[in-house]
Amino acid sequence: MQRLKAGEVNLGTSIMAVQFDGGVVIGADSRTTTGSYIANRVTDKLTYVHDRVYCCRSGSAADTQAVADIVHSHLQMFAQQYGTPPPVHTAASVFEKLCYDNKDNLSAGIIVAGWDKGGPSVYNIPLGGGLFKQPWAIGGSGSTYVYGYCDATYREGWGRDQTVQFVKNTLALAMSRDGSSGGTIRIAVITEDGVERLFIPGNELPTFWEGPPVPMTVVEAKKVVPTAGEGAPIEVEA
Amino acid sequence: MADVYNKAGFDFSNHVRNSFLQSKGVPFPKATSTGTTIVGCLFKDGIVLGADTRATEGPIVADKNCEKIHYITDNIRCCGAGTAADTEFTTALISSNMELHALNSGRKPRVVTAMTMLKQYLFRHQGAIGAALVLGGVDSTGAHLFTVAPHGSTDKLPYVTMGSGSLAAMAVFESQWRKDLDRESAINLVSAAISAGIFNDLGSGSNVDVCVITAEGTTMLRNHVTPNERGAKEKRYKFRLGTTAWTKESVRKFVVDESVTQISVPAGGEAMDIS
Amino acid sequence: MELNGGSVVAMVGKNCVAIASDLRLGNQALTIATNFEKTFPITDRIIIGLPGLATDVITLKERFRYRVNMYTIKEGREIEPETFAHLVSSTLYERRFGPFFVEPVIAGLTKPSEGSVPFIAGTDLIGCLTLPKDFVVSGTASDKLFGMAESLWEPDLGPEELFETISQTLMNAVDRDAFSGWGAVVHVITPDKVITRTLKGRMD
Repeated sequence: MQRLKAGEVNLGTSIMAVQFDGGVVIGADSRTTTGSYIANRVTDKLTYVHDRVYCCRSGSAADTQAVADIVHSHLQMFAQQYGTPPPVHTAASVFEKLCYDNKDNLSAGIIVAGWDKGGPSVYNIPLGGGLFKQPWAIGGSGSTYVYGYCDATYREGWGRDQTVQFVKNTLALAMSRDGSSGGTIRIAVITEDGVERLFIPGNELPTFWEGPPVPMTVVEAKKVVPTAGEGAPIEVEA
Repeated sequence: MADVYNKAGFDFSNHVRNSFLQSKGVPFPKATSTGTTIVGCLFKDGIVLGADTRATEGPIVADKNCEKIHYITDNIRCCGAGTAADTEFTTALISSNMELHALNSGRKPRVVTAMTMLKQYLFRHQGAIGAALVLGGVDSTGAHLFTVAPHGSTDKLPYVTMGSGSLAAMAVFESQWRKDLDRESAINLVSAAISAGIFNDLGSGSNVDVCVITAEGTTMLRNHVTPNERGAKEKRYKFRLGTTAWTKESVRKFVVDESVTQISVPAGGEAMDIS
Repeated sequence: MELNGGSVVAMVGKNCVAIASDLRLGNQALTIATNFEKTFPITDRIIIGLPGLATDVITLKERFRYRVNMYTIKEGREIEPETFAHLVSSTLYERRFGPFFVEPVIAGLTKPSEGSVPFIAGTDLIGCLTLPKDFVVSGTASDKLFGMAESLWEPDLGPEELFETISQTLMNAVDRDAFSGWGAVVHVITPDKVITRTLKGRMD
C-alpha cells in the first residue's frame, strides 16, 4: 500500500516492541527518508507520550508526529483529571481512535508499549486502525523481512538482557535487508523504575553471516613456506 | 465588493474557474520559488543560520539578491525554501503569533513554541503550503535547531540543510562539522556549506547570508560573502535623447504654475486705519 | 498569461521611476484591441502595472482602488508605495489556492517629506514580493524584458534618460514576443510631475 503523498517525509522503518516480565523493550532504526535521500540518519522514532508509555512510529513522519503530539496532550489531561498515570491500554486506545477515524488521511503504523499497574504491555495499531495486544510486535517496511525470525526465536519468560538482545538482533536483520531502514538502533527499556535508553551505533550493530570472507588487502608477493612433511610448497597468507 | 473585511483564511473562489482554464490548456503562471540552499548548525554559544540569495521562476532568476532568513522573534530566525510566497507568509504569520504569545504569557519566546506553531499550521494544510524551513534560536532552555518539512514533520539535529542545494551543503557538514565549534569557524563552515549549494546546485546562487544567534543577541550578516559580484560595464547603452518615437504626451504637474504680483508699499508703511 | 498577453516593466532612475506597458489585448493569437493599458494610477505618485488575464486585471484594478480608498479614509493619509506593495501582496496571497492570473508591478515615489525616494516592486501571482533596486519585469515578454533591462539599465538615470531606456527595453522586448506589443505607454514619475507618453510601435 503506497499511501504517501508526493514529496512526503517517510519513516521507511523497522520498529519493534517486546514484553518481558518486568517491562517492555522497544526499539527502532534511525533512518528518515525523502525519496532516496536520507533526511535524518539519527532519528528518534521512539516517542514519549507519557512517563511509562512510549510509541514506535512508522509511516509518514508528519502524520505520526501529529498523532503522537495529540495523544501526548490527551494523556497529560488524563493524568491531571484522574491524578494517576494513564494505563497503556488507554494510551493505545486514543492512538487507535485517531488512526481509525482519520484512516483516509493518515499513513501511520504505530506500536504502543509501556508499563502500568497491570504490568508491561505491547499494543500494535496497524495502518487503517485496529488495536491488537501482543507479547511482541514488529512494524514498518523492514518488519516484513523478520517475521519468520521473530516467530522462530521468541520465547516466553525472557529476562531484560535477553529481550534487549532479541530486539537488537531482529532490528539489525531487518535493517540489513530493508533499504529504507538503517543507521543506528535506538532502544528504550520501560520498567516500573523508569525508562532506560540504549544506543547502538551503526558500526556496532550485530552481524550475521555476510558471505565468504573477502581478503582486505591486495597480495603483493606470496610468501611461500614449505610444509613439514612432503616438502611441497603451499601458499599462506599475504 | 462586499469582501473588504474578509473572513480569516484562504479564499478558494477562483479555483473552479482556474481548473476550467487549465483544462482548456491555458498555462498556469509559475509562482516564484526559492530553489534554495538553506542551512543551520549548532556551535559553542548558539546557532548559525545560512542561506543563498537566489529566487527562481522556472528557469529564470527572478531575484538575484533576495532575503531568505526571516525574522520570527529577536532570538529566533527561520530560513525558508520552497514556494517563496508560502515561506514569506508562513513565517510572517508565525512571527506575529509568537509576538502575541510572548505578550500574552509574559515570557520570552521559545524555539519549540515556534516549531510547534509551524508544524501544526503546515500539517493542517497537508503539504499544500510548500514551505520547507530551517528554524533556529536561543531561549531560556538553550540553543535549538529544527527542520520543518512542508507536510509538518520536524527533525531536531545539530546541523541541518534544506532546499535543492541541501545535498551539496550536507556533504560539507558531514565532513567538517564538529562539536563546540567557535563562532568564527561556525560562520565559515556555514558559508562553505552555502557556497557548495551556490556553485553546485542550479537552483541556488548569488550571495551568502548568515545569521548568528547567541544568548547575547542576534547578528544578521546580510551578504556575508559575495562571490558573484557582477563586473563593471566597460561601455554603456545610453540612448541619445529623442531616440524613441512617441505619438502623444501628457504631463500631469503636481505644482500648478503661479505668478506673484509685487504690490509696492510706501516707505515706513501705511498708517493703520483706525476709523 | 498567454490567453490575453501583455507585458509591463518598471525601472528606478535618479529621483524618478518609470513604468511602461504594451497596449495589446488578445484572445490567444487573435488581437482584440490595441488600446488596452495595463498600468493604473493608485495615487499621484504610485502606478501599478497588471499584466495577465484581462478579467483579473480589471477585477484587481477595481479591488485595489477600493482598498486604497478605504485605507485613505481610515488612515486619513495617502498610502505609501511600500505599504501599497504589501496590500497587493496580501490581496493576492488571500487567494493562494485559487489565484488571480496576474503578476503585478508597482512603481512609485515616497512622499516629498520623506525625500521622494524611488520605489519599485513586483510580485508573482500569489503575492510573493520582490524588491529589486534596479528594475522589475512581468508578463508574457518577461524573459526578453529581463535580457533587455539587464543590459540597458544603469544607475542614476534622469527622467528623460530613463524614458529612453525603459522605452527601448520594452519596445525591443515586445517585438520578439507574439503576445505583447501593438504600441506602448510609458509613465515617468518625478517629484513634481508625471510624464505619460504613448510610443510608436510595430503594429504586427
